[in-house]
Amino acid sequence: MMQTDTSLEAALNALLLADAHALDSKDMPGWLGNYADEEAAAYYCRSAENSEHGLALGFMYDDCRARLEDRVTFVNDIWAGTFQDYRTRHFVQLTSFNRVDATTLEMRSNFSVFMTPKDSGITQVLAAGQYLDTVRQDKNGELKLLSRRAELDTSVLPRYLVYPI
Amino acid sequence: MTEINLSWPKNYNEVPKEAFVRKDIYAEEVKRIFHGTEWHPVAHESELPNPGDFKTFRLAGVPLLIGRDVEGVVRVFYNACSHRGNQLETAIMGNKTEFECPYHRWLFDSKGDLVGCPNPREFLPGFNKADYPLAQPRFDIYFGLIFVTLSAETEPLLEYLGDSQNCLRELLAGDGRLKLLGYQKVRYDTNWKSYTDNDGYHAPLLHQAFKMLNWQGGKGRQYTATHRGHICFESALSVATGPSVLKDKSLIEFKGQDPAVGSRIVSLFPTFVSTKHLDVINLRFATPIDAETVEVHYAYFAHQDDDEDMVRHRLRQSSNLLGPCGLISMEDASVFHRIHIGNHTPGSAIFQKGVHDPLKLESEFLQNDESGNLPRWEYYRSVMGFERATV
Ligand code: FES
Ligand SMILES: [Fe+2]
Repeated sequence: MMQTDTSLEAALNALLLADAHALDSKDMPGWLGNYADEEAAAYYCRSAENSEHGLALGFMYDDCRARLEDRVTFVNDIWAGTFQDYRTRHFVQLTSFNRVDATTLEMRSNFSVFMTPKDSGITQVLAAGQYLDTVRQDKNGELKLLSRRAELDTSVLPRYLVYPI
Repeated sequence: MTEINLSWPKNYNEVPKEAFVRKDIYAEEVKRIFHGTEWHPVAHESELPNPGDFKTFRLAGVPLLIGRDVEGVVRVFYNACSHRGNQLETAIMGNKTEFECPYHRWLFDSKGDLVGCPNPREFLPGFNKADYPLAQPRFDIYFGLIFVTLSAETEPLLEYLGDSQNCLRELLAGDGRLKLLGYQKVRYDTNWKSYTDNDGYHAPLLHQAFKMLNWQGGKGRQYTATHRGHICFESALSVATGPSVLKDKSLIEFKGQDPAVGSRIVSLFPTFVSTKHLDVINLRFATPIDAETVEVHYAYFAHQDDDEDMVRHRLRQSSNLLGPCGLISMEDASVFHRIHIGNHTPGSAIFQKGVHDPLKLESEFLQNDESGNLPRWEYYRSVMGFERATV
């Protein structure tokens, strides 16, 4: 971690927390708003087990901005009212970052996600793993996710996923 | 076998909810069904494309090691050392030409033969390594799909598959020459029968995507392939038309060759479900964990002749369409949980759609009929030895 750049580190942490907050609030437009407004903006969620064996298939595979927008439609419109809802709490911890070029950074963070189904009220771990992010920095210094890969240590999920991890 | 009592209704379209929740029934199912005279798909050869590739899987608790030996021959072993029974391989998949048991260092080759063990002079007089290969269950292969049975009495595989053979072959891309794309694995809080009982009748009702995408379905054929109630669905492909709420329409696009074989589902007793829909080829290896939990490994495939674009299309479509988080299937996953909760109430689940006479079993159904599950229930009842009421 670059000790010298504490304001950059603070800004990256703010981005991580903004995403956790949007997800835990089920604010899908807010979630989308954390991604760069670029065609290449992407979100993947897959098991580390697949990655380690060179298998690209994921639980979610949104490899362009249009698919991120469709993900919002899935959750807010298409699936509305058809599932047992659950609360989540995302805990994230920045573990490393480095600058790639003037407008791009990479960062890694650990995550764990608790879930509490509304009907049972019992809290359990939904998934643990790490985020592998590419971050876009615009002219004003603002940071957005260009791509995020949620790589799950949890290869067998304890339930289906409605919301991105 | 233990006699267990469950009074089964007279009508073929009624299934007592107790069957889904009673622990004594589950214990008996493991004996009669999972260790009994059934064939269980456990892998497809394309999951182990190279010599030395292996995969491990637990079939109703029984650990299996499915491997391709150094000469390229697929073999299935019990994943337990032939010495004291220690689980031999712990990785879920990988590549090895030898398997060493760490407990007392017995070493097995990829054909399952014991090739080394330290200090054999201290063993029983006359100890011979040749007497201690890895034990094997019976297995057989159909267009690359590897089946295991734990009973010596099960009929040959082709007989077992009966009239589901052709539909299954078409689903496996006609020639079984598949290429693995990856897995989605999930546990559902539901009895294994609730998982497989997720019938054809619900798609346009439960899944709002069908309406929102103007997706017409339901025109295909559903039939029972053997007395076990294996179910096949065959329909020409229907593609969504009209205005779409999706910005990236490739999720529901068909890029394959022949729309006539666009859509296939084969559901084999007891737990196997496989589907080819649009360009998704999906084999679901499922096993009960206990009476209230089923674990499903959704494996997705491309075809070996696909070009790069097609592989990428399948990858994008497979990840987002039909699995535990898929656009037109996430709600199914949710229903598994809710059905299991609802099954803790008295009475029977009563099938309606497609039932013409509750006292008769049929074998041909419309695609959206729920009655297609009834022959399977009748077979289940007979295997379990439950008496059907006469009045
Ligand atoms: S149990 Fe494997 S070597 Fe003894
Ligand atoms: Fe469904």
